[in-house]
Amino acid sequence: MAVLQTSTDLPAPLGRSTRAPSAPWWFLLIGLVLAAVFAAPLVYVIVRNIQDVSRLDEHFTSSATWDPLGRSLLLASSVAVTATAFGTALAWITTRSDIPLRRLWMLVAPLPLVFPSFVGATALISGFAKGGLLDRAVGPLGFELPELAGFWAALFVLTLFTYPYVYLPVAARLRFLPSSFEESARVLGRTPRQVFTSVVVPQLLAPITAGGLLVFLYTVSDFGAVQLLRYDTLTRVIYANSLADQPRVMALSLLLGIVAVLAVAAERALGRNHSESAMSNRATGLTVPLGRWRWPTFAAVAAFVGFALIGPLASLAHWTVRGAASSRARGALAIPTDGLGEAIGNTVLVSILAAVATVVLVLPIAYLVARHRSRTGMVADGLVTAGFALPGLVLGLSLVFWALSNDFLFRFYQTLPLLILGYVIHFGAQANRATQIAVASVPTRLDESARMLGAGRARRFITVDAPLMMPGLLAAGGLVLLSTMKELPATLFLRPTGFDTLSTRIWASMDNLSFAKAGLESMILLAVSAVLTWFLVLRRSDAL
Amino acid sequence: MSRPRRLLVALLALALLAAACGSDDDATPVDGTDTLGDATITVYSSRSEELIQPVFDAFETATGATVEVRYGKTDEITLALEAEGDRSPADVYIGQSPGAVGFLDQAGLLAPLGAATLDRVGAAYRASSGNWVGITGRVRVLVYNTDRVDPAELPGSILDLTDPAFAGRVGVAPGNGSFQDFVTAMRADLGDEATGEWLAGMAANDSPNYEKNGAIVDAVARGEVDMGLVNHYYLLEFLEEDPSLPAANYTFPEGDLGSLLITSAAGVVSASDQPANAEALIQYLLSDEAQAQSAAGESEYPLVAGVAAPEGLAPLAELAAITVDLDVLADGLRGTQSLIENSGLIQ
Repeated sequence: MAVLQTSTDLPAPLGRSTRAPSAPWWFLLIGLVLAAVFAAPLVYVIVRNIQDVSRLDEHFTSSATWDPLGRSLLLASSVAVTATAFGTALAWITTRSDIPLRRLWMLVAPLPLVFPSFVGATALISGFAKGGLLDRAVGPLGFELPELAGFWAALFVLTLFTYPYVYLPVAARLRFLPSSFEESARVLGRTPRQVFTSVVVPQLLAPITAGGLLVFLYTVSDFGAVQLLRYDTLTRVIYANSLADQPRVMALSLLLGIVAVLAVAAERALGRNHSESAMSNRATGLTVPLGRWRWPTFAAVAAFVGFALIGPLASLAHWTVRGAASSRARGALAIPTDGLGEAIGNTVLVSILAAVATVVLVLPIAYLVARHRSRTGMVADGLVTAGFALPGLVLGLSLVFWALSNDFLFRFYQTLPLLILGYVIHFGAQANRATQIAVASVPTRLDESARMLGAGRARRFITVDAPLMMPGLLAAGGLVLLSTMKELPATLFLRPTGFDTLSTRIWASMDNLSFAKAGLESMILLAVSAVLTWFLVLRRSDAL
Repeated sequence: MSRPRRLLVALLALALLAAACGSDDDATPVDGTDTLGDATITVYSSRSEELIQPVFDAFETATGATVEVRYGKTDEITLALEAEGDRSPADVYIGQSPGAVGFLDQAGLLAPLGAATLDRVGAAYRASSGNWVGITGRVRVLVYNTDRVDPAELPGSILDLTDPAFAGRVGVAPGNGSFQDFVTAMRADLGDEATGEWLAGMAANDSPNYEKNGAIVDAVARGEVDMGLVNHYYLLEFLEEDPSLPAANYTFPEGDLGSLLITSAAGVVSASDQPANAEALIQYLLSDEAQAQSAAGESEYPLVAGVAAPEGLAPLAELAAITVDLDVLADGLRGTQSLIENSGLIQ
């Protein structure tokens, strides 16, 4: 399946070996163990279905299943297409063009990912609604805003909050793609658009399809946005029945698992035919002048990022200011902030630990897939990725189930290590593809030369592979970092009792209708994520 | 390269420090004996921290015991407890919804309560099984926009909302626990057929869907929809943040099903190794003192006779709110869920 092919019109890449070296047995064993860990949620769903098969055929044939499944698939494929288009365009603009304030866009472009979808959707809905901020802004000009509900609203909102899944890996790839291809094409008289479609896009196929797959799986599993926007997907049915009908919940989850496996297979067919290509070892300085398109592009990017970032932010700020003013009027304390510092500390702690642990644990699988072309690696890769389609509720339940299944794990029940493991399993899919792309970006010739010079596996990894892979690994870790910061359902299931993160506090505030508090906490979450993204991801990947 | 790495280490250290400083004093070990003084009682609560934590704090001060509370969403707290079964670390369960607490009761996960605890509230506010007891209650109301609705056109019964006059004007939250509890109560009172017809009537009226009570109140206050079926206290919370909102609660008169009282319930988890301490905590929640405290802080109705209703709310007795024992339905939540789904109410 993963046959190496020379792609269309590119010069032959550096150092391609025709046969992948086979992996040593102990390395395969590590891959198998990791595959088993990542498969835990899917295995749980299968076990629960085996325990109660009585109504499985009923659920699989009912229109009460197929109708919402159809809507899930329609929405997820649509969001995957739009998010891929916007994410790719934005990545090219921020890495290759001379758009004004380029550094600023590089910092803020990944951030919309950090809005928990229930916060982002609520904020946008209240902005669009009659009497909302946006309505008050454009209403006097004679515009009537559409009500934010249904398919188009879900497509709009989810695109705004998921495009970073595509943006981050694509930007990471672009930053380290040798500019010589693009320069040659330009010298040969191609227009910038031709250069983009015939030279750049083929090189980006792997990160684009990988990001698109993540968007698809995320949308399939999302509950927060679709329920607020009133689009009845399969995940909404799963949540509505969580207490009422568990066999049905498990049957539908199994269906989502099957959808995910098929989606992974499709992505592999689409994205895997790319040729392994050369990466330059320093950030390229190529800049395409946009000419008279410079300011229109700027306006388009500002509008898009504005909807994704400033839109929700404006609503959050509005809630906070309004609530603070009204409580001051009553003589009460403005907005209670006790325990907030602890929640910030906890959020930073778990997100960094989860990001590092996830990248470390998917790295062996990435090596098996990208370096060794191992079948075991492919299976592990499928399991890591497919699990992402399961809704947080089902994932949380599965980890509770496994933690209770034996005495050893039960000792870690409701402790920090198991919470981190939960994040690793949930977000492995996000780090997985980006890590494989990073591994594939190391020319095997370099590794072979180092081996001939007598360098051991560990030394080759540290001195040759790691520096070259760093941008890809940082992109992978960055995705996990942002996702962990906003994660709610698995956190509620697995956290130590009394352990608050920013996202659990935001949920509690929204649940109490304390919008002022929720607004403040969400803005802090955004600020913390911006600081971490800057210092841990962007600065480091540029310094290399 | 080295500077960012140092920064990473510093950030991690900072985070660890913050987490370490923040965590509470070491929990007193539970020795299995029921001596309240040094006990640590673990509570799973889907009632929110903001509403109920002050009562736990008062209990700690009064008894010297430590209360560790695990807050979460109703479904998730309930499902975790069910999955844990006899290995659950929880001693006490506090749920927002009779449906969820009934689910645990039917799964055999709640231990019987003593008569002294149960008798604190009227028979309508506790389980016929004797395994859970209501602690506070909220009333279902029709919230309406005062600019867009003339109080004279408000219906005398919730059953009248299927009238074409209300087409497209009444927001509902079919996926919400309180709405589902209301439908379950309607099934127990009027039977499945009449309930199904009412739901279908609401669907035929194109009643706009919302995710939950708060979203309905928000939409009504903005004028997006004229009215909505919600619990009484959501509007009070909204008015606290923005007192100028043009919205009011309407309570259906004369014991109409529309003014159902929904209880927040508490029970002792059967896996608890200190059931007496657990029950002592529940008894405290039902004490005059704690009931008055909840009424003051939560805007929920206290259920113990003689404790005054929250300021600004009509006394419980005057509301003629009704309570239906949800246990009478064998297929409970699942039957309710499938009735709602089959009615076409979910958009």
